[in-house]
Order: sequence, then C-alpha cells, then structure tokens
Amino acid sequence: ALFYVLSVSQWGLWILLFWPQHLTLSSPLDCRDDQGSLSRCTSISQEKLLDRVIHHAELIYRVSEELCSLFEELFIPFPFRLQSNQAAYACITKALPIPSSKSEIEQISDKWLLHSVLMLVQSWIEPLTYMQNSMERYDHAPDMVLNKTKWVSEKLFSLEQGVVVLIKKMLDETTLVTVYSDQNTVQNDVQPDVLESVMRDYTLLGCFKKDAHKMETFLKLLKCRQTDKYNCA
Amino acid sequence: MRLEMSSNRQQRLCVAMMRNVGGVIVLSLLLVFVQLAAGESFSPPGTPKNIICRSPEKETFTCWWEPGSDGGLPTTYALYYRKENSDTVYECPDYKTAGKNSCFFNKNDTSIWVTYNITVVATNALGRAFSDPVEIDVVYIVMPNPPEEVTVTVIEDTNWPFLRVSWEPPEKADTRSGWITLIYELRIKLENEDEWEVHPAGQQKVFNIFSLRPDSTYHVQVRCKPDHGFWSEWSGTTFVKVPDYFPRERSMWILIAVFAAFIILTFTFIWLSYMKIHNLKHYVLPPVPGPKIKGFDKKALKNGKFEDIFSSLVVSDFPPTTSNYEDFIVENLEVFVPEEQELIMEDSKDLQDDSIKSENSTCDNDSGRGSCDSHTLLIDKGGGDKEEALQSDQEGSQDERVPTSPEEVMEEDLLACCDEKNSPDISEKVKFTPSLISPLPRYNLMNQPNPPEIGKKHCLSDSLLNPDSLPSYFTQPPSTKNDFRSNPWECNFNHKQHPLHPQTTGKEHLQVQNEISWVHVDRTEASLGVQAPSVRSTEYVEVQRVSGGNMVLLHPVSAGQENSGTMSHQTEHYSRVKTVNNDSGLLLLQKESTGEEMGICLSEEEVESRATSNGYTASITPTSEKPMVGINSTLPILDDRMASGYVDTATMFGLPTY
Repeated sequence: ALFYVLSVSQWGLWILLFWPQHLTLSSPLDCRDDQGSLSRCTSISQEKLLDRVIHHAELIYRVSEELCSLFEELFIPFPFRLQSNQAAYACITKALPIPSSKSEIEQISDKWLLHSVLMLVQSWIEPLTYMQNSMERYDHAPDMVLNKTKWVSEKLFSLEQGVVVLIKKMLDETTLVTVYSDQNTVQNDVQPDVLESVMRDYTLLGCFKKDAHKMETFLKLLKCRQTDKYNCA
Repeated sequence: MRLEMSSNRQQRLCVAMMRNVGGVIVLSLLLVFVQLAAGESFSPPGTPKNIICRSPEKETFTCWWEPGSDGGLPTTYALYYRKENSDTVYECPDYKTAGKNSCFFNKNDTSIWVTYNITVVATNALGRAFSDPVEIDVVYIVMPNPPEEVTVTVIEDTNWPFLRVSWEPPEKADTRSGWITLIYELRIKLENEDEWEVHPAGQQKVFNIFSLRPDSTYHVQVRCKPDHGFWSEWSGTTFVKVPDYFPRERSMWILIAVFAAFIILTFTFIWLSYMKIHNLKHYVLPPVPGPKIKGFDKKALKNGKFEDIFSSLVVSDFPPTTSNYEDFIVENLEVFVPEEQELIMEDSKDLQDDSIKSENSTCDNDSGRGSCDSHTLLIDKGGGDKEEALQSDQEGSQDERVPTSPEEVMEEDLLACCDEKNSPDISEKVKFTPSLISPLPRYNLMNQPNPPEIGKKHCLSDSLLNPDSLPSYFTQPPSTKNDFRSNPWECNFNHKQHPLHPQTTGKEHLQVQNEISWVHVDRTEASLGVQAPSVRSTEYVEVQRVSGGNMVLLHPVSAGQENSGTMSHQTEHYSRVKTVNNDSGLLLLQKESTGEEMGICLSEEEVESRATSNGYTASITPTSEKPMVGINSTLPILDDRMASGYVDTATMFGLPTY
C-alpha cells in the first residue's frame, strides 16, 4: 500500500511537472529543420507527413517489384510465369471495397482514399509475414530474397502506422492499428508441397506488387488534391 | 565487605557508560563538525543538459545527455518520452546499448510519422531534476556513419598521374532502396600541411584529383550527409603516395618546338610578303582599273560633275534620227576619180544580193551608180579581152569591164555578149579604156551569171528591139529622139532610170548607155559588192564635142546639162566608140569588122545563149550592125590600147579631163 501511494504520488508529481510544459509546448513553434537545433515543432505538419507516406509507399513498391522479379527468376520456370495482367482475380484483396477503375477513383473522396489505402496496407501485413516465414523454409533461398521480403514486411508495417497518423491528422479520426496475431503460425505447421508454396508465394508477391502500386497511386492522388483540386487525374 | 566492593564496580560502570555516551556524543559532534567542515551538502541532482539524439539510418535513434551535478548522492537518470499528441509517457527501453547516459530506440520504437518529446530526469536521494524537453523528428536527426572502404589509387596511364578516390556508403544506411539518399564530400591535404582541400562529390562514390605534386604523400578523408540531416564524421585517413614523374620535359619541348616553328613560319611569310610587297599587294588587292572610255575625263569624274563627263561621251549623231535613212542607204555616191579621169562614177554603197542587183542592174536613183554612166563613156576598144582587161585591172580574178564611152559601152555590151562566147577570138578587139570611164569594180562577165544575164538582157533588149521591153523608153524618146536609138541597145530594166533622162536630155544617150553599161557594171558591182580598191569615183561624162581628128571632147556631165550634140549620137555608136561622128560628136571606136560582126554575132549568140531562159532571140543584128557600119577605123592606136586591154581615152585622145 505504501508503495502504491508512493508511485501514485510520483506519477502525480510527474504529471504536474509535465502539465505546464505540455501547455507551453502546445503552442506552435517555428518548425526548423536546421542541424543542431533542438527546438522542433510539436508535431509533424500534414504536408510533410503526406510526403513521407508517399515516399514510403514508393519505396515499398519499388522493392516489391524487385522482389517479384527476383523471385520469378529464381524459382519460377518459364511456363508458369504469370503475365502482368493475369492472376488479378487470385489476389486476396479483391474482396476489398477498393476503387479499381479510374472513374471510381476520380469520384472517391479524400477520406475514402485514405481508408482504402489503410485497408490495403492492413490486409497485407499478415500475408507478408506468412510469406516471409515460408520463404525461410526454402532450402536454398538466397539471402537477398529473404532480406527483401523482410524489409518489405517491416516497411509495410511502418506504412500502416503512418497512414494511421495521417488519417488522424487529416480526418481527425482514430483508428486501430493492426495487432500481430499468431494465427499464421498455425498455418505453418502444414507443410505444403514445395512447388505449391512457391507458386503461392509467387502469386502473393504479384498481387502485393499491384497493391503496392495502388497504394502509391492513391497517396499521390491525395497529395495532388491537396495542392490542385481540379487538375488531378 | 562485600558492599564496599560492589559500590566500587557500580561507580566504575557508570563512569564507563558516561564515557561511552560522551564519546558517542563527541563522535557524533565530530561527525557533524567534520561534515560541516568538509562543505558538502546533499542536494538534489543537477538537471541533465544537452540532450542529443541521432539516428544513423532513419530506423533507430539514440539520445545522449550530459548529467548535471549529482548532489553528492548517487543519482540515477531516466529518460522519458512522449509521442506526438499523446500523453502516454514511455521510458527509454534501452539504456545500455549506446553507453552511459544514453538511450537507444530500436526499430519498433522508432517512427518517422511522429515527433518525440524527450526528457531526462536525474534522481537522487534528495530530489529530482528534470531536463528541458527536446522535440525530435527522426527524419531530421539522421547522421549517418562515415563512408566505408575508402580507397585511393594513383592512375598513371598518362604522363600526368592523378588520384582516384572511391568509397562505399555506410553499411547501415539503406541507400540501395532509396530509404536514405546520401551526398558525399572528401578532403585532401599534403602530409605536412595543415589546410585541407575540400571537394564536394554529390551522390557519386568515385572522385578524381588532379594536379598532384610528384613524390609526396597525401591524406584523404570522406564524409556523407543525407538530404535532411547531419554530416557524418570524417572517415579514417587514407594515405597515398604519389610517385615521382617528369612528364613536363617531353611535352614542354614539343610545345616549344611547335611554337618556334610557328613563329619562324610567320616571320618568313612576313619577310617574303615584304619583299614582294607590291606584288603581293597587287595580288591580294588588285588595283581597281580606271575607266578607259574615250573622252572620259577622270579628273572630271573626281570633281563629280557627271553631266559634263557623260555629255562628252554622248555622240550626237547616234542614234540616227529617222529622216536620213535614205542618205545612208543610197546616196553614198561613189565618185571614182582616177588620175586623168574626168568621169566620175557613182557607185552605190549598196551591197546587195543578187536580187537587188537584178533590180538595180540598171541605173537608178537608188543605186546611184555612177557606173551606169561611166561605163558608157569609157572608150572601149574592140577586142576580146574585155574580160582579160578587166581582170588585169582588177584584183583577183574578177573581170573588170571598163566602159570607155557610152557607145563603147553598148559595144562592149554586145561585145561582152559576144566576147564571152568567143573570147579568144575577139580578145584583141576589145580594149577597155578604163580611164575614161572609171571602171566599176569587179565586173566579171565571165564569172557571174547575173551580170552576163543582165548584159544579155541588155543585149537582148537592145537587139530585139522589143518594144515591150522598153515601153517606157519608147515613150520617152520622142522628147529626145535619141532615145529611140538607144532603145535597141538599151536594156531599160529599171524604170527608175527614167528620172535620169529628163535631167539630161542631151546626154541621154550617154546616160542611157551609161546606164546600160552601168547596168553591167552595176550588176557586177552589185554582185561583187563594193570591194575593189580600184573603185574609183565616177562621174558622168558627156561628150562635148568631137574633134575632127577623131577626138572626143568629154566633159563631165552634170545633172541638168544637156548635150544637144549627144542627141544624135545614140543610134550609131552604141556598140562602140569607134569613129567620131561629127553629128554625134562621139568617138566611136571601130571594132574590127570581123570583131564587130562577130561581136554582133557573138552578141547574138550570146544573147541566144543567155536568152534561152528569157526566150529572147537574137535579132539584134540589123540594128546593131547599123552603128557598126558607120564605124570607121581609126583603130590602130586603139588597137594597141585594146591590146593592152585598158585604154585610156584621155591619154589617147588627149582629152582634157574634168
């Protein structure tokens, strides 16, 4: 009991200490990016945030593209290779209420753009993790493939966070962040056929590449709308 | 006894206790005093300062702080942070990884989407101290590690070696995916210098350094920086030694040689050009030719008076005005004046072709041929060599018929007609006296068909007594009876001649004969053109009187003169001037009878031969013979002359020449 009293008092003191600072810091300060300056803005501006999110999405798309081609070269024989416009139906995200045509995209609001992106991102976190695990079970998967897959997985998770923050900033909404679940590990117990798993991973990568491109496109469109509302395509 | 012993012990114990207490008190007091004497005070800790947070790859970051005074008591430090717009306070997850007084944030804890608010708290027994909070944006605190694997090599392919510096980005920085974009910078200095030479290198990972000092050692360092962030530390020094080289010598000598050659060539050229400066000057800048126009005054030009200059150039006569074309054409009367000649023949300057010649074969105003007259006046000796005579007189191969007298002319014509056929026979007969009547040039009876034709025509017309051919002429003669006589001898081809007749009735015959003769001559002349230098101006000469001694007085005929004496000439003496007929006053050269007749015959024949085309027949003889009959011979002299072929009547007869 004494201990609790002490801790509570400590935290009370802590809060009391921070409170005025919080108040003082809440007023907008000059956001300066120069080196050595420790005084920063309280929060990152919306524009900057959007830029970073876009940059993030770009990188993810680029790396996923590299990963896909690398995987294809390494593991997929010629007859099985998918064309760019094929296998879209097999993607897991087709069920999502995401705009897919240009006309739909033009009509969608900013809010739904962001939510679409978030949905995409959130829907891919788990599959990527699964893919990462499955790749690690390959016999002779090169490190590059594994590293890239890992990288993409991590970045995607980071992207999710960014989109959440962005939504909060732009739409003033609070959404939940995906929580890692261990459900995927259950699937790993099953040892599928190697070829099947490879094909599945290959398909997954293809789908992910497309969706990554979608994310990037949505975000860029969003940015375009911020600056010039009527001239975006 | 026993009492006495216990009280002593109690007293001793009390004293000991009292001593202990006193000692303790003294000790405590001493302690207090010692503490006071030492000056230390236990205090709450000082605030931590200078919190620095850095991220090497934008995925993690570390914060360092400076601790303040610790207040004499063991102090602990804690770092707390809040995320942007959130009140949740987190404590640093890792105090150890980064060393003392640091806090390390790993990937999971690092977010580029939010800012961090960081505070460091120092705590000791007596209190706490809070540092100033620091706002952190991870993107802006990126300070990469220095570049790695810096290699410097000396490239010696050329005579001028240079350094090639290459490096790799720090391992942690993910530049490959584009997560971080780095720009680089390198610096270099000589070993014993203090000043570094800094070279920015952009995003490339290779850099070349030139202008090295041979045989020296260099120090090279590289560093990098992200887009928004801090410069990394300089990499470890790389040492490089530049070898010794002497490239200058060779290339410098080459340069010097080239320069010298160039200078020498330039000087040679200048010298050469100087020597021939004028030539060169003229070669390069040719002098402008001045105007070479007759009558052009350069000085006037310089004065600038253009009207004067150009007026001097203007030939007033040119272009000719319209009215005087006739003058140009016809009126150039060629006056042929031989040395003793009185006769002046007129030649036309017309150079006509045959057609014109045919037209102008007889005398007319247009042609203005004095030949018409002059021929008749020439004394003509019978004989064949009319042609020869002509030829001898003339240049070239052309025959010149020299009419000596009007009668002669007629005779000549006839003879010519005849002669041509039997030239060798009558060659002696005909003599020409070109002096009397200037021969018209180039009178080629032989060579030219036309003249013979015309002559033929003459002959024919004359002989034929064809009234048709001479209609006009027949009409006219009534005024001048003589004309009729002349008719048979006349070939009045050209009616143009009529105007001539009224002019000189007296000399009509002469004129007629002249005309006739001149017809010949004209033709020839026309055919031949005015070429001969022997063309002499001719004038009409009229026989003024005839002396008894077979002398004919000739005087030049002028327009308008009349020679009554001539009236009667005509009929008789057309063929030739053989005798001097008192009536006629003309000298008629007598042909040899044979010649005459032959001439006649010949003329007939000739006429026949020539008249084939025309259809004339020779019926000349009666009329032609007539005059012939009356011809007496006083020929010897003439014969001689005729032999010569060129009879100068003036000389012969001593006629005065006008």
